[in-house]
Amino acid sequence: MSRALLIGRLVARDLRRRPAQAVLMLLAITAATTVLSLALALHGVTSQPYQHTRAATRGPDVAAQLGGPVGMGHIPGHAPQNFGVPSPRQIQAEARSLISAPGVTGHGGPYPVASVILRMGHLGAPVEAEGRGQAPAALDQPDLTAGSWVRPDGIVLERTFAEALGASVGDRVTLDGRAYTVAGIAVTAASAPYPNMCFPPGGNCEFDLPTLSSLGSANIGLAWVTEADARSLASAAAPLADVLDLKLKNPASAQRFVIDYNAAHHLLGSGGLVAWQSIAYNDGLLVQDEQQVLTPGAWLLGLLALASVAVLVGGRTSEQASRVGLLKAVGATPALVARVLLAENVVLAVVAAAVGLLAGWLAAPLITSPGAGLVGAPGAPSITAANAGLVAAVALVVALAATLVPGIRAARVSTVTALAEQVRLPRRRAALIRISRRLPAPLLLGLRVIARRPRRALLTAASIAVTVTGLVAVLAFHATADARLGPATSGLGDPVVDRDEQMLVVLTVALVGLAVLNAIVTAWATVLETRRSSALTRALGAAPWQLSAGMVVAQLLATLPGAVLGVPLGIGLFALANGGGARTTTVPPVWWLVAAVLGTMLAVAGLTAIPARIDARRPIAPVLTAA
Amino acid sequence: MSETMNQSMLRARGLCKQYGRDASLVRAVDGVDVDVPAGETLAVMGPSGCGKSTLLHLLGGLDRPSAGEIWLDGQRIDQLSERRMATLRRDAVGFVFQAFHLMDELTAVENIELPALLAGRSPRAARRRASELLDQVGLSGRARHLPSQLSGGQRQRVGIARALANAPRVVLADEPTGNLDSEATLDVLRLFERLHEAGQTLVIVTHDARIAATADRLISMRDGAFVDDTRLTGGTAGNLGALVGLDG
Amino acid sequence: MQQEVVLALLAKEPSHGYELRARLRDALGPLGDAMNDGQIYVTLARLEKAGQVAVERAAGIPDRPDRKMYALTAAGQRRVAEWLAEVKWPKPDLAEFHLKLLAAAAARLADPVAIVDAQRRELLRRLRDAQRAAMAEPRESEAALLLEGIVLRLQADLRWLEACERTWTKQKANPRGDR
Repeated sequence: MSRALLIGRLVARDLRRRPAQAVLMLLAITAATTVLSLALALHGVTSQPYQHTRAATRGPDVAAQLGGPVGMGHIPGHAPQNFGVPSPRQIQAEARSLISAPGVTGHGGPYPVASVILRMGHLGAPVEAEGRGQAPAALDQPDLTAGSWVRPDGIVLERTFAEALGASVGDRVTLDGRAYTVAGIAVTAASAPYPNMCFPPGGNCEFDLPTLSSLGSANIGLAWVTEADARSLASAAAPLADVLDLKLKNPASAQRFVIDYNAAHHLLGSGGLVAWQSIAYNDGLLVQDEQQVLTPGAWLLGLLALASVAVLVGGRTSEQASRVGLLKAVGATPALVARVLLAENVVLAVVAAAVGLLAGWLAAPLITSPGAGLVGAPGAPSITAANAGLVAAVALVVALAATLVPGIRAARVSTVTALAEQVRLPRRRAALIRISRRLPAPLLLGLRVIARRPRRALLTAASIAVTVTGLVAVLAFHATADARLGPATSGLGDPVVDRDEQMLVVLTVALVGLAVLNAIVTAWATVLETRRSSALTRALGAAPWQLSAGMVVAQLLATLPGAVLGVPLGIGLFALANGGGARTTTVPPVWWLVAAVLGTMLAVAGLTAIPARIDARRPIAPVLTAA
Repeated sequence: MSETMNQSMLRARGLCKQYGRDASLVRAVDGVDVDVPAGETLAVMGPSGCGKSTLLHLLGGLDRPSAGEIWLDGQRIDQLSERRMATLRRDAVGFVFQAFHLMDELTAVENIELPALLAGRSPRAARRRASELLDQVGLSGRARHLPSQLSGGQRQRVGIARALANAPRVVLADEPTGNLDSEATLDVLRLFERLHEAGQTLVIVTHDARIAATADRLISMRDGAFVDDTRLTGGTAGNLGALVGLDG
Repeated sequence: MQQEVVLALLAKEPSHGYELRARLRDALGPLGDAMNDGQIYVTLARLEKAGQVAVERAAGIPDRPDRKMYALTAAGQRRVAEWLAEVKWPKPDLAEFHLKLLAAAAARLADPVAIVDAQRRELLRRLRDAQRAAMAEPRESEAALLLEGIVLRLQADLRWLEACERTWTKQKANPRGDR
């Protein structure tokens, strides 16, 4: 027991003596664990969103659209089909036929659907407005996420559509010129969320091409109004259709049901059936996109966090070597020494893991709430035991790695050697020294800084490469999205792109934040390590600006190859995430890439110059006499 | 007055350096006046902690005085910016440290040529000068040795050579033989004698009487202030035989 | 002490007076110069009287001391042998100086610290001279070793004087009262 107490006291004393480095290490590991827990939480949420919605809204097994338009189908590439407009009696007959089909155990509706143009401010969008009653339906009752259900002159918008519009409860809109107020926002499992609502094999929507092109968008939104409002919104150009929800005895056979029914019957107008699995698939397309952004992003962040930790651990390793020597000199066995080091790193790792998990759990809703028709998403990301275990394991692995090197040394190296090697003497790099002689003072000093610790320069290059890879991937995303969407027209965004963008913004911010931390840590660590030789060089006559410039040069020399390498890597990464070549990837314009590389280098230069300048202005004597 | 100022290579008036505040205030240097004419060797002796090293750091621009004025070759230096001070250290002052303070990863000749390179001389000229100096200190066979391959005395000789790289007007030596045995001390002594003969202005801080004895003038310091100032040249001690009882 | 020196010079073989002088100078270097020529012959005469040195008079050569041939007698050789076996070390005369300081302080005749400082200055000057002489000698010379010894002795004495200064300065600050 006393042994454990001793270890505890040694650890506490050491952490208190070097708080700055301990804090930095904590920050870096926490960043890594936060990212990891965030990724895991989001992965959990986005993997089964549709099931949540379906359960919460009592979604139908089959959704049927009955009736249909006079005009052309909006599917590009198909020959325009002229459907006859079914009469209400015909529609009712069809409904009855469906309700009584074998395997059907329940139904909801039929509900009238009007095709209208919704305008909010200067934005306009085609909308299918379903007429509903006040009482909750047994099947397919959309779940409200804000506001209240339909009322006269009150409209409820589908959630993703509402986001695209930027609408919230209480906003005023017009439907075909008639004034409505947004009463609420809801999600449903009966159709894929905006803008995939009308994608085949889902519903066939009834807007004609001229209307759509005049609005500038082919994406159609879903909304609910009262039955009376829906009927009153019908017009000669856009007569009412109906929506019928079916519940099957065997939900798994929904797709079979649709195929069989279509083979046996011919639906009138532009009617069609869709099974819930097809809706799920469409819904899933959105989620796949998210994951394709999230996964590589999380990897990049993880790598960068590891790089920061490696720099810190590398720095601590050389101090720890001298501490090992001291401990041994006072009689500690190698085993005890290893335990002390391990305990210290484990403490840091555990704290970092806990903070990271908490931060990830808190941050996840911020990312998922602007979500698709995901019910229960806010607050849904929870800390499962598996997630917590994985995060803790990662943190502990880092702790072990940080202990491994000095621990092995403790066992192998004799005490005298360990004590004598208080400062790890830099190896001589004759070639670099020879080259640096011929250069002006700042370059001379900078090159020699690199020569002292070339491995750190490599590590810097690697972290910069990771950062620039992330930045370039984001730029490529933007370039591709711009090319795909064409010029922004209706003002309504594509929520797929929108949400990807939001996540990318968060990831980019995190990436840049970590990169900044990394640059500061590296610069600070380098400045601290070269303090004595910098002071000596100043005593020999180097001006402070020459030393700062030298340090900046050293960092830039390490940064440039990393930044340049990051460009093709970033484009490649995005191409990989973008369906692995299935979809076209647009290479960002050259000046964007140049700006990214130059911007990174400028940032590194600035972040290095600050600690370098501060150190270069200290009085020399105290540093030299302390050394 | 102006004559003395012109003749003085190094001059200080009312020099003060203090650390801490209130209860923990320490006056390392307490109102010191110094005058070092060109070509003179001045030794400053005193017990540890008397402030002699601090005084030297102040004179060499390695630290800023809390109060007082310093003139180097007629130019006021205590209020220069760090940048100008660095130029001064490069061209006018050579510093020799007790702990040698050589760059561990550079060879002897690379260490010596560094100040010249920093001063902007061509690599070839700097290397030539460094080789000459290495010769003068008697280490030409060790040009390519790293400090870890040199003995203490050899390292200090490299340090002295480095201090001379840019032909400074003043050489300041802080306990140059503090870490050396008597054999190495003798080597350093010889070097200082030679420098003195060549007319170099030299200020040496030491607690070794042997080093102090090579000086023209000796100042004793205690608790941050000067307590004695003696000329050592002029008037010898009488016959040496008396030292060993060989007379009478 | 002087006599032993001369005896030592004759230990190897008999020699003339002028040879002795030369040998002395070789052994003692500049310190040898300080010795008065005449003193050697006075000492030789005393030794002759004591029966430790025998003088051979060369025929046909004028009767001058430097031309005489000197040699150790058996008694002289015995004395040399005893001297070589002795381990007596020259006594440093610190007691006199110590008493000087005490007297000055007790009788209020002078400031002990000032006395110490004056002595220090003198010793430093001597140290300087000895050091100069030591460095002027060629490395292999025997005299160089002697001079090194003198330097180190002076260094030790100076250290003691520093200690005296510290103590007597403190005494001035906190007098213990008259003895």
